[in-house]
Amino acid sequence: MAALLRALRIGQALRGLRAAQRSQCDEVKRTFQTAAVLRRVADDPKQEQVPPYSSSFHQNYQSMHPESESSRPNTSYADQHGEQAEDYETEEQLQIRMLTAALEFVPKHGWSVEAIAEGAQMLGLSPAAAGMFSNGAGDLIQHFVAQCNSNLSENLAEQHKLVQLGQTEPKKTDEFLRDAVEARLRMLIPYIEIWPQAMSILLLPHNIPESLKHLSTLVDDIWYYAGDRSTDLNWYTRRAALTGIYNTTELVMVQDSSPDFEETWKFLENRVSDVMNMANTAKQVQSTGEAVVQGIIGAAITLKNLTGINQRR
Amino acid sequence: GRYLQLSPCRCYSIVPPAQDSAEKDMLDRMLRVDHAGEYGANRIYAGQMAVLGRTETGPIIQKMWDQEKAHLKVFNELMADNRVRPTILMPLWNLAGFALEGAMACTVAVEESISEHYNSQIRTLMEEDPDKYKELLQLIKKFRDEEMEHHDTGLEHDAELAPAYSLMKNIIQVGCKAAIYMSERI
Repeated sequence: MAALLRALRIGQALRGLRAAQRSQCDEVKRTFQTAAVLRRVADDPKQEQVPPYSSSFHQNYQSMHPESESSRPNTSYADQHGEQAEDYETEEQLQIRMLTAALEFVPKHGWSVEAIAEGAQMLGLSPAAAGMFSNGAGDLIQHFVAQCNSNLSENLAEQHKLVQLGQTEPKKTDEFLRDAVEARLRMLIPYIEIWPQAMSILLLPHNIPESLKHLSTLVDDIWYYAGDRSTDLNWYTRRAALTGIYNTTELVMVQDSSPDFEETWKFLENRVSDVMNMANTAKQVQSTGEAVVQGIIGAAITLKNLTGINQRR
Repeated sequence: GRYLQLSPCRCYSIVPPAQDSAEKDMLDRMLRVDHAGEYGANRIYAGQMAVLGRTETGPIIQKMWDQEKAHLKVFNELMADNRVRPTILMPLWNLAGFALEGAMACTVAVEESISEHYNSQIRTLMEEDPDKYKELLQLIKKFRDEEMEHHDTGLEHDAELAPAYSLMKNIIQVGCKAAIYMSERI
């Protein structure tokens, strides 16, 4: 009887332990523990500031790791190790630091786990810490894309504020779109040689949902700051048009060899003015279409009169 | 997060900034479907005016239409301010609204659906956090009261005398529910 009770108690303890572990069912958290242990071993100085783009990055990471919200600062971790350092950084912050550091090594190693490992080493972690990213190269590229989009958002917000304060003139729509897309694409210049590799990785099926989300966020931001406040089907047509412009210009850019990518910017200008013209053309087509339909109806009525079908005697 | 960063500087703000993506989704859905509904209501009244504009009920319909236009204007602003994606079914609401023109009976059925829908939104918001959503609740309550007024006006004008009233009413209300369900999502 006593043995049974003891066995039950042990079983309960194990279940409790497993539950605690299951609450971090993400493998990432398990590898994070090793990484964090390594971090403390390497005695890395704490980075006080979280880079501002991390807030949008958090949103994306929250979608991937729904449990690890920064509002709940790893209490389970604290429970497991019985200590909670005040300058403890969250998992996301560490991942962000690693990926940012890894970007430096991308020109040499390409978008790969090697680059992340080098980045980890630079931060004083073991290269094995790169194993925390289950998606490896995909994670690195998504991080880079999110970072670029955030930077662009901030720049656009700054400009918007200046315009609202009356310190600068508002730009016309086509100029605004051109400048915004150019600014965003210029962020690719340091990595332009290996960007085709990134593009193909982003096209892998498991990366597509997130890369689409980044793209739609980017396009929505640009149109919002361009002044679009539409709440009808225009919302969709405008964003679809800008997505097309952005993607085609990106493709042109990766195989452009002109000085400072002049060809790309010229291509961009043409595409933007095409879209602007299309809007006007659509209106013209519609009114022409209406006129044509009325002409046809008139002709049909005339025909009916001539053949006597309309006669009422 | 991202949304907080971009909210405009207004003296008042009806919709509180969302704390997380789940709340943002809920608010987005509410605004999206309310916006679509008011748009549809606008089209219904436009259709009714086209048909009944010259009858004695003309001025009454005009008044109700003006109120709906005001509602739509508010929702347009809220949508733009809160970066909410409009439903892709907007053309459908346009079509459906205009197709329903012709009788006070339609008004009554639709207004009843809309009032019910607003009521369930009010319930949801009250369950979540009545203090946080105070302004939004006030807005929805005001709109719901005005829609109920329209409903009662419709009844006053003998909408119930329309032939096959109860059948038509049921069909319209089922249609409304379906449209609301889809507009919340797409």
